[in-house]
Amino acid sequence: MKKIFLSVPLIIVILITIFCLVFLLQNRDPTKPPSALLNKNLPDFDIINLFDNTNIISSKNFKGNIMLINFFASWCSPCKIEHPLFFEIKKNYPSIILIGIDYKDKGEEGINYLKTMGNPYDYVGVDNKGSIGLELGVFGLPETFIVNSKGIIVHKHLGPITKKIITNEIIPFIQ
Amino acid sequence: MISLIGFIGLIMSFFCNVVVVTSYYFRINKRFNQIFYLALYCGLFFICLSFFSLMFAYLSSDFSNFNVFQNSHSSKPLLYKITGTWGNHEGSMLLWLLIMNIYNIVFSFNTTLEDILKKLTIFFQSSLYLCFSLFVILTSNPFLVNSIEVNEGLGLNPILQDPALAIHPPFLYIGYVGFSLILSLALAGTISDKLDNLWIKVIKRWTMFCWLMLTGGIALGSYWAYYELGWGGWWFWDPVENVSLMPWIAGLALVHSLMITQQEQLLKRWIVFLSILCFSLSILGTFLVRSGILTSVHSFATDASRGIFILILFLTITGFSFIVFILKAPHSNKKLNLLFINKTSALIINNIVMLIACITLLLGTIYPIIVEVLTNKRISVGAPYYNSTVIPILLPGFLIMSIAPMLSWQSNKLVKLKNYIYLLIVTGISTVLIAYLTKFNIWAFIGTILSLWIIATSLLSILHNCLKNKFNKFFIYNNALIAHLGVGFVILGITFSSIFQTKNNFEIETGETINAGEYSLRLNNLQMLEKNNFQELQGVFLLYKKDKLLTSIKSSKRYYYVSKIITTEAGIYHDWLKDFYLVLSDEKNNKWSITIYHNPLVSFIWIGVIIMIFSGMVGVLKR
Repeated sequence: MKKIFLSVPLIIVILITIFCLVFLLQNRDPTKPPSALLNKNLPDFDIINLFDNTNIISSKNFKGNIMLINFFASWCSPCKIEHPLFFEIKKNYPSIILIGIDYKDKGEEGINYLKTMGNPYDYVGVDNKGSIGLELGVFGLPETFIVNSKGIIVHKHLGPITKKIITNEIIPFIQ
Repeated sequence: MISLIGFIGLIMSFFCNVVVVTSYYFRINKRFNQIFYLALYCGLFFICLSFFSLMFAYLSSDFSNFNVFQNSHSSKPLLYKITGTWGNHEGSMLLWLLIMNIYNIVFSFNTTLEDILKKLTIFFQSSLYLCFSLFVILTSNPFLVNSIEVNEGLGLNPILQDPALAIHPPFLYIGYVGFSLILSLALAGTISDKLDNLWIKVIKRWTMFCWLMLTGGIALGSYWAYYELGWGGWWFWDPVENVSLMPWIAGLALVHSLMITQQEQLLKRWIVFLSILCFSLSILGTFLVRSGILTSVHSFATDASRGIFILILFLTITGFSFIVFILKAPHSNKKLNLLFINKTSALIINNIVMLIACITLLLGTIYPIIVEVLTNKRISVGAPYYNSTVIPILLPGFLIMSIAPMLSWQSNKLVKLKNYIYLLIVTGISTVLIAYLTKFNIWAFIGTILSLWIIATSLLSILHNCLKNKFNKFFIYNNALIAHLGVGFVILGITFSSIFQTKNNFEIETGETINAGEYSLRLNNLQMLEKNNFQELQGVFLLYKKDKLLTSIKSSKRYYYVSKIITTEAGIYHDWLKDFYLVLSDEKNNKWSITIYHNPLVSFIWIGVIIMIFSGMVGVLKR
C-alpha cells in the first residue's frame, strides 16, 4: 500500500512525459493550429460591441469583404507585442475589415487596453465567456484569422504576429 | 578557429566527466582516487575554455560562428556583446553546463561529509552533467560554423539589451542548476542511507543558496519587465514566469521542511521527495520553454528534436530519481508532534500550501497540452486562472508565517501571547482605517491585514528576542523573522500596486502642463538622441507637486537600426510610497499621447525581496 502511494510521483512523471511526447510527435507546432476550420466557412456569430453593449456586431454583415479577426485580451502579454502591427496592416490595406475580439476579459479592462494601446480595429466585440472563441477553436491568445471575400477561413495564425509573418503569411491572402 | 577550440573544450569536458563517472567504480584503488579528482578539475578547465571561447567569439564579433552571426552585431555595446553569450538558447545551455560543473567543483571542497557520500554525490552530479552536455553537443551546439561568408551579424533582440536582463539569466541559472546538486545530494544520501544531521546541514545550506539565487533571478526578471516592457505591471503569469515559479515554490518548501528535519529528525522521506521535485521542475520548465510547446514573451529558436531530447532527459533523470525514492526512501517510526499550534504543525501547513500552489501552477501550465492531446481542441490558460487559484491557496500560509518562527517545537504555547493579541487588534483597526480611507476592496483588505500583521509580529518578535538575548547572536535568533519581514513588505507592495494602480491617458503638447490631482506634469521638450546602435526619441517631463518641482522624468522610445524594432523605455519616478510610471506613445497632430500609471508601494516589493535575499545570505553564511 505504501509503495503505491510512493509511486504516485513516478506515475505523474510518466503521464506528463507521454502527453508531451504525443504532442511533440504529432508535430503540433503551436503556431500552426489544427486545420479543423481551415478552408471552411466562417461560422456566423453575433457579438456584443465592446464600446456599446446594446449594439450587436453580426458577422453576416461583412460577407463579401476580406476580414481579419484578431482575438486579444487585456491580460494577454504577447498581444501587446503584436498590437502596433495592426495599425500598419490597416494603413496599407484599408479595404479589409479588421475585427478585434476581446476574449475572456472584463469589458472595461478591454476598453482601457484599447485606449492605451490605440484601437486599430474597425469593429471590436467582447466575448467575455469565450463562447465565440470556442466556436472558432481559439487555443491561445493572440490568435488571428483571415477570412476571404467568400466567407471562407483561409488562414489562421496562433501567437503574436510579426513583420515577417505579415509579409509571408498574411499579405498573400489579403492582396 | 575559436569555434573549434570551444568545441574541443566542450567535448573534452564531456570525456573528463566520463572519466569521473567510471573511476568512481574503482574508488577503492588509491590511484583511481587521484584520477577521480584530477578529471573533475580538468573538466572544469575545459568547460571554462569552451565557454570563454564562445564569449571571445562574441567580443571579437567573429561572424564565422553561426551562433554569433545570429545573435550579435558589431555595433552592439561591449556589455551586450558579453551578455549576448547567454542571450540565446545554445549559449545559455553552455552557461548551464558551466554552472553545473562549478557546483560540482565547489562541492568537492566540502570537508564535513563522509568521503563515500561526497564521492557518490560528485558521481551523480557528473552523470547529470553528462546528460546535459550530450544534449548540448547533439542538438544545441553553439560552435557551428557559418556556411556563408558574412561581415555583419543579425543582432540581439533589443528588449534584451538591458543591464538587468544581462545578469538575470546567470542568477536564474545558478538557482535552477543548483537544484541539480540538491538532487545529487538527495540521491547519494538515500542510496548510501546516510541521511543524518550532517547531510541535512549540508543540503540545507546549498538549498538556501540556490533558492536565494533563484529569488534574485526572478526578481531581476520582473523588475526588468516592469520598466522595460512599459505595460505598467511586473508580473504577467507568462508561461516562462510560471515555470520559474514552480521550482522556486518547491525550493521554499524544501528550505522550510529541512528545519523540521534538523530539529526533530522527521520527514526525511518528504525532503528527499522535495529535493527530487525541485530539479525535476527545473528540467520540465526548461523543456516547456525550449521545445516551443508554449508560446510566451521569451521566444527561443525552437526545434522539435530538441524538445524530444529534453523530454527523454526529463524522463530518465526524474524517473530514475523517483524509482530510487520508491525503493530506498527512508521511513521513520517517530511520530509527528502535531499540536494545535506548534512549529512542526505550522511548517507542515506551510509545506502543504506550497505543494498545492505548485501543483496548481503545474496543472495550469500543462493543461492545454493534455486537453489538446485528448480532445484535439485548443484552450488557453491565462492570468484569470492563476489569480483566482494560486493567490487564495497561499493565504493560509501567509497567515501562519507571521508567528511561526516564535512558536515552540514541543509545546502549544506562544510566549507573551497577550502582546500578539494586542498587536492583532491594532493591525485590524489600522487596516479598517486604511480600507475606510481608500476604496474598499476585499482583496486589498485581506492583503493589507496579512502584510501588516506579518510585519508587526516579526518586528515584535525581533524586539522580544533582543530584550531576552541583548543583541547576542542577533542573526541566529532573528534571521527567519527578518526573512518573513521581507515577505510582509512584498505582500504589502503586491497588494497596493496591483489593486490601487491607477492609469490615465493624456494628450500633451510640448510646453503644455496637465493636472492630475495635486500633481502636475509638463512636457518640457522632446529630443532626438543618436546612439551607436539605436536612435532615441526622448520626452523630458517635469513633475510638480503643488507648483514645486519634484523631478524630471525621461520617457522614451527607441528605434534599433539592426533589428528594426521600436522599444519603449518607461520613465519612472521612484518615490518611497509610489511610483510615477510614464509611457510615451504616439503622436497625432503635434499632440503626444502618454499613459501615466500611478503605482503605489511598488518599491516595497523590491525592498522586501532585498530583505529576503539578505536574510538568506545570512542563513547561508552563518555557522
